[in-house]
Amino acid sequence: MKKFFKLLALTLVAVMALASLAACGGSSSLSDPAVGADGKVTLVIGGIGPLTGPYANYGLSVKNGCQIAVDEINAAGGVNGIMLKLQFEDSQGDPEEAVNAYGKLIDDGMRVSLGGVLSGETASIVAAAKKDGILLLTPSGSALNAIAGNDNAFRVCFNDPQQGTISANFIADNQLATKVAVFYQSDIDYSNGLYETFKTQAATRNLEIVTTQTFTKDSATDFSTQINAIKASGADLVFIPIYADEAAVFLSQAKANGLNNVTFFGCDGIDGILTKGVTNEDVEGMMMLTPFAADSPEADVQKFVSAYTTAHGSAPDQFAADGYDAIYIIAAAMKQAGFSGEAGKVDVANFQKRLVEAMTKIEVDGVTGNMTWTADGETVKNAMALVYRDGVAVAYSSDDEK
Amino acid sequence: MTEFIQTLVSGLSLGSIYALIALGYTMVYGIAKMLNFAHGDIIMVGAYSVISTVALSTNIPGIVAVVVSIVVCAVLGVTIEFLAYRPLRKAPSLSVLITAIGVSYLLQNLALLIFGSQQKSFHLDFFDAIKPIYIGDVLINGITLITLVVTILIMIALTIFINGTRMGKAMRAVSEDKEAAELMGISVNKTITVTFAIGSILAAVASVFYGGAYKYIKPTTGSMPGIKAFTAAVFGGIGSIPGAMLGGVLLGVIEQFAKAYISTLWSDAIVFLVLVIVLVVKPTGLLGKKISEKV
Amino acid sequence: MKTSFAKRFFSRNAVTVYLLVAFYVLVSVLLYGGGLSRQLYYMAVPLSCYIVLAVSLNLVVGLLGELSLGHAGFMSVGLFSGCLLSIKLSTVLPIAVSLPISMIVGGLLAAVIGLLVGLPALRLKGDYLAIVTLGCGEIIKNVITNLDVTGGALGLNTLPIYSDPETLLPFGILLVFITVIVMMNLKNSRHGRAITAIRDNRIAAEASGVNVTYYKLLVFVLAAFFAGMAGVLYGHAFSNVKATTFDYNMSIEILVIVVLGGMGSVRGSIIAAILLRTLPELLREVSDYRMLAYSVLLIAIMLLNASPKFVELKGRWTLKNVLAFFKKKKTASAVEKGE
Repeated sequence: MKKFFKLLALTLVAVMALASLAACGGSSSLSDPAVGADGKVTLVIGGIGPLTGPYANYGLSVKNGCQIAVDEINAAGGVNGIMLKLQFEDSQGDPEEAVNAYGKLIDDGMRVSLGGVLSGETASIVAAAKKDGILLLTPSGSALNAIAGNDNAFRVCFNDPQQGTISANFIADNQLATKVAVFYQSDIDYSNGLYETFKTQAATRNLEIVTTQTFTKDSATDFSTQINAIKASGADLVFIPIYADEAAVFLSQAKANGLNNVTFFGCDGIDGILTKGVTNEDVEGMMMLTPFAADSPEADVQKFVSAYTTAHGSAPDQFAADGYDAIYIIAAAMKQAGFSGEAGKVDVANFQKRLVEAMTKIEVDGVTGNMTWTADGETVKNAMALVYRDGVAVAYSSDDEK
Repeated sequence: MTEFIQTLVSGLSLGSIYALIALGYTMVYGIAKMLNFAHGDIIMVGAYSVISTVALSTNIPGIVAVVVSIVVCAVLGVTIEFLAYRPLRKAPSLSVLITAIGVSYLLQNLALLIFGSQQKSFHLDFFDAIKPIYIGDVLINGITLITLVVTILIMIALTIFINGTRMGKAMRAVSEDKEAAELMGISVNKTITVTFAIGSILAAVASVFYGGAYKYIKPTTGSMPGIKAFTAAVFGGIGSIPGAMLGGVLLGVIEQFAKAYISTLWSDAIVFLVLVIVLVVKPTGLLGKKISEKV
Repeated sequence: MKTSFAKRFFSRNAVTVYLLVAFYVLVSVLLYGGGLSRQLYYMAVPLSCYIVLAVSLNLVVGLLGELSLGHAGFMSVGLFSGCLLSIKLSTVLPIAVSLPISMIVGGLLAAVIGLLVGLPALRLKGDYLAIVTLGCGEIIKNVITNLDVTGGALGLNTLPIYSDPETLLPFGILLVFITVIVMMNLKNSRHGRAITAIRDNRIAAEASGVNVTYYKLLVFVLAAFFAGMAGVLYGHAFSNVKATTFDYNMSIEILVIVVLGGMGSVRGSIIAAILLRTLPELLREVSDYRMLAYSVLLIAIMLLNASPKFVELKGRWTLKNVLAFFKKKKTASAVEKGE
């Protein structure tokens, strides 16, 4: 009996904890952004990503990139007078927590969702967002299924299959190699998505894949066996559709194990590798296909890079750039839809419907390139090829190879 | 043949790191009879101590950083034992396990807040001097040899310490029966404190070689090697010092051979499958003590 | 007569069921009445899955006394097999029919795997068994990640069977009640006593004629069955599921719930599941320090639970004193009335 009362007390605590979460209610369809008491409209943009845990660097990059864009827009008086507010919730990279975070954001008045930073997070909330009819624009959820089945979902980055195809075409067009080795992470969607389409496209372009080596999250420390196999295969180029952390480890081990005279070729996941503590020799000559380059001479890129570097002490990577662009894309769509937050002529009626319709009509010249959108949410933009020279990623030109 | 030997060398290289970590695991388990799940994270702290010390000034020799790391880890290990594990000495072993998991989360999240989530490069000057050796076409990295030698030396030293010194005798007594040891005038608390200090020093040493071999660290660096080393320690027979060595080396060799000769896609499953089969055949690990059951 | 009713009314099992009923009545009223915050709205179904997972793992850890670090693997087997079936069935059957069928099939498949994992448990114990269960969980994860039919690393697209919490909650409630009632009845039955006898002293139990092989396997099979069913339900609550989610870290999370709730205590597991799953959400307010605070709280709870002073303090703070006071009053008035 004594134990029962103790547990009853505990249960009451648990129920009170739940009740405190249940405080504000309402799961009905979403209304338009609220007009404040001062007659001004504030649009809450909600982001979800890993801010703690093993993938925290991706979430923090996107969050920081978004915040810079929001600050710039608000400093200039908002979008037609509508002020933006960024709220970013942690998911630890866990799809289940991402859904909880989505709920929290809706509770807090989110009216535009940035989806999730990772594909898995985005894929887990895309169905919930569909039910709410809310615009979802993921900066970096690149897997095909991340925005599938939801007409209101769009993305800033390339999707994974696009990148695999573009990579194979680029290698074949520029005659970089005929014998290709692939090294990828078999337990993540990003790597798999790129690898599958790369393999298909490579076959049609007469690129011979001489060996395919993989690793998983649990075996991402020692790559010597895979490197030896690549060495033995006689490949001229190693396609590495992996993320920068693992790429840094791989490149330093490749060097230590004598894998020389090959070109390493990565995609946008590699971006930011210079912040991972690599030496210049490790990345020398590595190529990368990416829509964003921090050293691009373009004025808007330089403005963003300097703002980011001032605020966070390091140059922005691809993820930060995607986040930055996402905010400007939302702003462009809002302008296209003709919303206004100016005193006396506030117009935010039918917010979601008009916003989503505007998405396929806009053309945005962002730091990750010139973008338009198709009705199924995919972005149309170009990738640049970069090559690392003396620790700097510079634009590739076919002359300076060899 | 070259491929076979090269794979074996890779296996020994990975296995000696596992063995080095497993030694610390098994030492603490053998004497304090608890699974210190945070052991891997102490390695992470050791590695961050090294790079933070090196970053202080350009002319700090690497060996100073190693000493700093050893001191930091020893102090940390003893502190954790005192604050988190000592109050649970009489609690069920699973409560201690969960507390250790809590400590592991705590260290990871502290490191995340202090050092950030970005991966950092680990660099020590004295590893630069070691050049790789070629035997025929087989490449052997210098650090592989050194790690192997150091691991064997530590194994021998630990065995001598536990079997030949007064403190070692006290440790064996505590491991057998805490209460009886107490009655014999052995301070159980002091003995376990020393055990944790030694275990954490081993973690610091492991961090130096881990960092030297794989060159990068981040806040979650310790968790996977920790699990693998725990596996290795159980494989060899948990509590047995030569067993940890054997288990670690075998685990590394099996992992590399599975990758080279079967498939990199299935290597994780193969390693664990071998482990399950070995344990089913030999339920106390390779060198584990047979425990006779009393009624 | 009156005492026996009171006894039954206040029996440990009945109280657990009342508390559970009260909890779900509250959640249901809020959920269907529209008063539930969105954050909690999405948590209602996964939380039910965690309750089932914790209660079923408690059977292995608490009742049988064996440490299992592969519970997420069983969940994963059930989830992928059950959801694949459900996706096939969803084109011809309504969810109210296809979900229970897939849950049972998923549970049965998980039970088969549970049997396979249970076999080593006949020979191994303690940390050796723990490592073997961890290994089995990792093998399951690796296999599902490499299979094409489960979507591989891209994850299984469960969008066709994704259902909102309003649809899934009744199934969640049903599953929780079935699990809890089966577990409680098992615990207090002849079989339960046989299992605890094996835990306390295997040799003595064997000598008393307890079939150790049968009961050890029974425990693993039952635990895996319920974990598999919870997995199928879990899969319906998300639009994409990946095998890598169900790794040893998830098994450890479930184990933490079981240990915190108390070994062998069904009610403890339920309360701990609710507390531990809502805690990280409550801690969102401290954003960056969220997981730090979580780990500190975890250590603090474990230390407090073991501290004799705190246990004594807890004893004084229960409602028992309050109720004892009322009871005395009641008896006094009953005496006055001459009953």
